Amino acid sequence: MINYGVRRLLALVPVALGVATLTFAIIHLVPGDPVVAMLGETAAPANIVGMRHQLGLDRPLLEQYAAYLGGLAVGDLGESISYRKPVSRLIAERFPATIELAAAGMLVAVFLAFPLGIIAGSNPGGAGDLGAMGFAIVGISIPHIYLGPLLMILFSLDLRWLPLTGRGGLEHLVLPAVTVGTALAAILARMLRQSLIRVRESDYMRTALSKGLSARAALVRHGLKNALTSVVTIIGLQMGALLSGTLITEMIFSWPGIGRLLISAIGARDYPVVEGCVLTFAITYVIVNMATDLVYAIVDPRVRIS
Amino acid sequence: MLTVWISENTARLRLVAQIAAALVALAGCGRYRTDRSPGTIQVDIETSPTSTDPRFATDATSSRINELIFDSLVKTDRNGQFVGHLADRIERPSPTEIVFHLKHGVRFSDGRELTAADVIFTYDSILAPESMSAKRAGIEELKSIDAPDDYTVVMTTAHPYAPALELATEGIVPAGTPLPSKGIAAAPIGSGPFQMVGYARDEAAQLERNPYCIYPSGAPRSILFKIVPDPTVRALELAEGVCDFSGNNIEYDVLPWLGSHQFLEVSKTPGTTYKYLSFNFRDPRLRDVRVRRAIAYAIDRNTIVNTILRGTARIATGMLSPENWAYDGNVTTYSYDPKKARQLLDQARYTAGSNGMRGLRFEYKTTPEGARLGEVFQAMLQRVGIELTIRTLDFATYYADIQAGSFDLTSLQWVGINDPNSYCMVFDSKKTPPHGQNRGYYSNPAMDRLVEAGMSTVDPEARKEIYGQVQQLAAEELPYVSLWWVDNVAVMNRRLVGFDAYPNGSFRSLATVTLSGPGGGGEPSQ
Repeated sequence: MINYGVRRLLALVPVALGVATLTFAIIHLVPGDPVVAMLGETAAPANIVGMRHQLGLDRPLLEQYAAYLGGLAVGDLGESISYRKPVSRLIAERFPATIELAAAGMLVAVFLAFPLGIIAGSNPGGAGDLGAMGFAIVGISIPHIYLGPLLMILFSLDLRWLPLTGRGGLEHLVLPAVTVGTALAAILARMLRQSLIRVRESDYMRTALSKGLSARAALVRHGLKNALTSVVTIIGLQMGALLSGTLITEMIFSWPGIGRLLISAIGARDYPVVEGCVLTFAITYVIVNMATDLVYAIVDPRVRIS
Repeated sequence: MLTVWISENTARLRLVAQIAAALVALAGCGRYRTDRSPGTIQVDIETSPTSTDPRFATDATSSRINELIFDSLVKTDRNGQFVGHLADRIERPSPTEIVFHLKHGVRFSDGRELTAADVIFTYDSILAPESMSAKRAGIEELKSIDAPDDYTVVMTTAHPYAPALELATEGIVPAGTPLPSKGIAAAPIGSGPFQMVGYARDEAAQLERNPYCIYPSGAPRSILFKIVPDPTVRALELAEGVCDFSGNNIEYDVLPWLGSHQFLEVSKTPGTTYKYLSFNFRDPRLRDVRVRRAIAYAIDRNTIVNTILRGTARIATGMLSPENWAYDGNVTTYSYDPKKARQLLDQARYTAGSNGMRGLRFEYKTTPEGARLGEVFQAMLQRVGIELTIRTLDFATYYADIQAGSFDLTSLQWVGINDPNSYCMVFDSKKTPPHGQNRGYYSNPAMDRLVEAGMSTVDPEARKEIYGQVQQLAAEELPYVSLWWVDNVAVMNRRLVGFDAYPNGSFRSLATVTLSGPGGGGEPSQ
């Protein structure tokens, strides 16, 4: 397992290189000038030229790319054009907020998905199944940009239970986490339902029932664990969706995470920040998927990681 | 059945209820209340100020916040006229020289007295090549700035320069204030009513009173400028009572809903922000004035203002609003007349085909926020046979395209127009990007002569006459189709008393409002 972990970590290198190259190319090819964004349209042409030189933006693109990769090789993500701070520092300041939101969103997803999936999968076609799958359809369909304000209106404006925006105590986390986690909860609930239906028809479940176990006990002791394997895989794969969900959610809830930093940097054409944020998201995604594979082996002893 | 099930599962239900209660308690739920420090008001803004240093800030958000922190030699009044601010008295001994006599006893928030040396330092640091300040271009007419004594500043321009007082609007920082660069996190101090005590980009800027500045009893002791990018959330924060004030950044659709809250006041006052439709004169079809006039006649501005904008604008006749001292409303206007538009297009030999279209297809570039207006223009122009393709781009891409002259039609707005000298920046044929903001590459020698004369004529009456002609020519020639002047729409909590709206949307009266009710303002300063 250790070998496997090391190999997966080494595989990060080409992934990071690919992501870095693609991000660099895309952000430099789209129109927009970070110097004009920073100095304003009224800046003297000489100032614009001077600032471009100072930032190295007047160098050939390949040279800029080589310098960027050279920095990456020693862990230097460069300096933000608009914040005038090292990108790694900016990311370090904001990454905990994004991880906090993503983790809370995942928790919400799991807490909602498991009961709903179990209710739906235990009695397919029943009232519980219809209700749970109705929730799942709504959860998948409703975009963050709509769900967030709806939750705000209900829980902040009408009931006044929770604050509207900002990061603070646990109470600030509830609405953003529900916003981020609802769609994932819906997907997980549907997956769990499908897995349970499939597991219920398997031989070992029939054996367990024929040994005299109640349907509920058979489901809890044997069915659920087997049904979980595919759900765990989905949790890992959905991490990307969860992280991208934080972009919009952070904007809605004024949550000071990387998503907000990234959107602001795209608007200002702050190349180093955009590149750093995208790279951070990509590495996080790979690491979470690696962790998922390891958990998969724990959940299903038949799986041997080598 | 249900009662039986409940009686059989009482213990489990109790456990579930206990867990839920624990979670709710853990999450700090209950009746949530926003704690507010007494005397603090929250103002929601949509973007972060780009700079907390007045020597570098050029965007509207920075300027509005900095105006509360830094004083300048002169400020504009509600009519766009420059009046002394730090300057007690202003003399103009010759067309190239202005003398400012400074007030005595003005202090920065660290207690130092503001003198002419600070003014000289501020201007020198803007002009220093290493500063790379965007404001350098705005004061390049300044030939020299001197301080004969501690309370006198003399500005000299290279040529007679009518809007020279515009040069005196820079916020003054104390001598020795370093340039904002690596490692310098603290915002400079000023002599204005507030000082910045905290700033986290993309989050908030916290202002507290300058202890050396007198303020009225009950006025706010501090202002929290919170950056809330989402317009819906800004509206919700107002409705929840978290935010006290939001100026010109609430969507028109939600204004009636906000107005239905008894504790909120929606204030609408005439504004100077000028919305226009711009043409690219490098397209030969758009160089034909008949085509431009046809487009002007085809746009039903009254309907747009009354429906989409919910009456929060006035139909514009030109860039200068009626509040401006140089305004001339006696110009050609283009009220909605699709029949006349069709006639003009026929005269320009763009005749309608069997489908009613005239083979005139233009690309209208806009941002996601402007797409709705673009669709309205598209529908209105289609009625007269002009096809408009809408291209929606993110702001940075859009802005780069507009600056590069890569558009047929676009709609933008000018914010904070004070001196009519702005006409020179946008209509002088020498002021195409990157030397100015004539993005449509409009060129007319008569206009060039007028705007240049307006710049060098010092006599106010003669200037007014010149800019009257500029406004008439612009309305005839239509380098822009004037759309509307946007009203200043402020939504504020009624606990803010005495907010005095400025036509240019300035926040300056937040320094003098008073707070009523619990958590009101502070004691007056000595």
